[in-house]
Amino acid sequence: MTFRWTILLAAVLFTAGFLVNACKKSGAPAAPPTTPLTFTVPDGWPQPLYNFEGNPITKEGFELGKKLFYDGILSKDGNFPCASCHQQFAAFATFDHPLSHGFDNQFTLRNAPGLFNMVWLPAMHWDGGINHIEVQPLAPITAPNEMAEDIANVVKKLQQHPEYPNHFKAAFGDATVTSERMLKALTQFVGMMVSANSKYDKVKRGELSFTADEQKGYEIFQAKCASCHTEPLFTDNSYRNTGLPLDPVLKDYGRMRITGNSADSLKFKVPSLRNLYLTFPYGHDGRFYAVRDVLDHYSHGVQDGPTVDPLVKNKIPLSDADKFYLQYFLRTLTDSTFIADKRFGPPQ
Amino acid sequence: MNAMRKCFIGLALVVASLTSCQKEYKEPAPDHAFSVRFRPVVQETDNILEFGKTYTNFFNEPFEVRTFKFYVHDIKLINTENGYTFSVGKDEHFLVDAADTIGSRIDVKVPTATYNRISFKIGVDSVRNFSGAQTGALDPALGMFWTWNSGYIMAKLEGTSPVTGQPGDVFEYHIGGFKAPDNVVQQVSLPFPSPITLRKDAETEIIIAADVYRWFNGVHDIRLDTNPVVMSPGPLAKKVSENYANMFTVLHFISYL
Ligand code: HEC
Ligand code: HEC
Repeated sequence: MTFRWTILLAAVLFTAGFLVNACKKSGAPAAPPTTPLTFTVPDGWPQPLYNFEGNPITKEGFELGKKLFYDGILSKDGNFPCASCHQQFAAFATFDHPLSHGFDNQFTLRNAPGLFNMVWLPAMHWDGGINHIEVQPLAPITAPNEMAEDIANVVKKLQQHPEYPNHFKAAFGDATVTSERMLKALTQFVGMMVSANSKYDKVKRGELSFTADEQKGYEIFQAKCASCHTEPLFTDNSYRNTGLPLDPVLKDYGRMRITGNSADSLKFKVPSLRNLYLTFPYGHDGRFYAVRDVLDHYSHGVQDGPTVDPLVKNKIPLSDADKFYLQYFLRTLTDSTFIADKRFGPPQ
Repeated sequence: MNAMRKCFIGLALVVASLTSCQKEYKEPAPDHAFSVRFRPVVQETDNILEFGKTYTNFFNEPFEVRTFKFYVHDIKLINTENGYTFSVGKDEHFLVDAADTIGSRIDVKVPTATYNRISFKIGVDSVRNFSGAQTGALDPALGMFWTWNSGYIMAKLEGTSPVTGQPGDVFEYHIGGFKAPDNVVQQVSLPFPSPITLRKDAETEIIIAADVYRWFNGVHDIRLDTNPVVMSPGPLAKKVSENYANMFTVLHFISYL
């Protein structure tokens, strides 16, 4: 008798447990487990502004983001994945192109920047128009001269794809494709791209030391450049007019396009100088082919105007020797580990 | 007997688990089903907007509408007599789309009480404009997000007019902007024709006219020939929002038993 009741009790308890469980997962089948990945902040760097709080990084989410980044499916005709303009060997800039090619033989308005250390940026794009890393991909996906797609259509294509729903399930627990999940996966991939292993970094960590020429260049840099290209990210994230004359064809007024304020006319975001020698050409429209051309601009090309920054208004005096040493220093910012990192290469 | 007691404990556990489950997943909810139905109209509250039909605005400019959408949030039902206010929640966003009757209705739950006023905001709460990827009414796939200058398009009126001088005769008002001084989020507060007491066993629908005619004038003159396109935040977008903040009129209530 007691025995029977015990079985019944066990059954009842089991059911109770089951109900509790079912209610926790709101009736859905158990989500497959995910493998967490950790994001490491390099020593001595500030905390990133995007910290993956609402978007915990997992191997599955990261791999999905990588697949999306390298897949033409996000573009209208299938030919323009993110990776067509952001190439790893160029530190994810467009190699050797002032402007990148997009849909229907069109050029982008601006030079594609390298992609690394993105989670430290308070705003993205040369004009700072993008206020959050998660929504950044919406811009290239929908731009008629880039990927020329429609977000709802991309979501539909991914949902109907033979493989993607499974990847979404692995990363997010079920096979539903939403723009939010797609954007979060892309953010896991792009956000993980950290470049902090250049010679400069090794010197900072005490593993190597600068040559005498590099050291001289570093000192000139600290005196004349670092107030805008601030270490360790080599940008202070401000918008400045460095006296580049307006291109009459592109008519790009930079930050003013976003704020509508004439005081922001011709101001552009200070770019990081990390991996500089991989991301040529230079400037927001790629008008400078070589680092030397940029230095020549600072020393005698600056054109004054109402919004030109006081720090460059009277040009930056740089002797030929200064330019020589500066280039030695700037070369130490190349991170060859980053461009060879298989994690960021095309999916196998 | 002892065993019987054990069984009761077991049953109690089942019940407990069920109730605890409810507690965890359902806030003590207001129980009255309340819908806000927006009726798109032109100039007169009984002149229902038809897409593709030609109307004229205050400046005698002919126009046809093909898209009419706006965000609503921070809905409150108010009784100014006794000071009671029920807030649906600042974070709940709804996209009203005049293209279909389902899209133009918002369903919420409110406590049964007597109310004499409704208030809400037109637009998207400023924080949500820089919160990254979102879903539901704020899914960027709904086409109400500016991709190149992050932020929501808070209200959209699109169509054609022969006076615009634009390719395809289009006019496009994409109104957004969440930063001062060009924040276009507008507070709307509408008195009811007479106070309504919601009944426990009924569902209530409130019909509110949303008049596209009011986009063009009222506070500021927005002419289709001089301003056919508003596509970015700024003083002009702000003016349009100050016009359409006045486009609403409470018409009546319907009660379903
Ligand atoms: C057709 C070429 C092209 C494609 C395709 C493209 N990009 Fe870009 N990307 C650019 C250009 C050009 C910019 C600079 C835009 C600007 O500043 O206005 C840029 C900027 C960015 C930035 C901001 C960098 C910064 O420093 O502010 C990120 C992040 C980025 N792209 C990621 C992506 C992702 C993710 C995809 C795929 C969804 C993608 N890009 C597809 C050309 C492209
Ligand atoms: C007033 C702030 C400021 C100072 C000082 C400054 N820069 Fe810049 N730098 C910028 C801005 C802003 C840009 C982007 C300009 C554009 O394209 O419109 C830029 C662009 C560059 C670029 C091109 C990078 C790329 O990826 O396109 C290089 C190289 C560069 N600066 C090097 C230097 C060096 C070296 C110095 C010191 C001699 C220096 N800068 C001083 C603000 C500054």
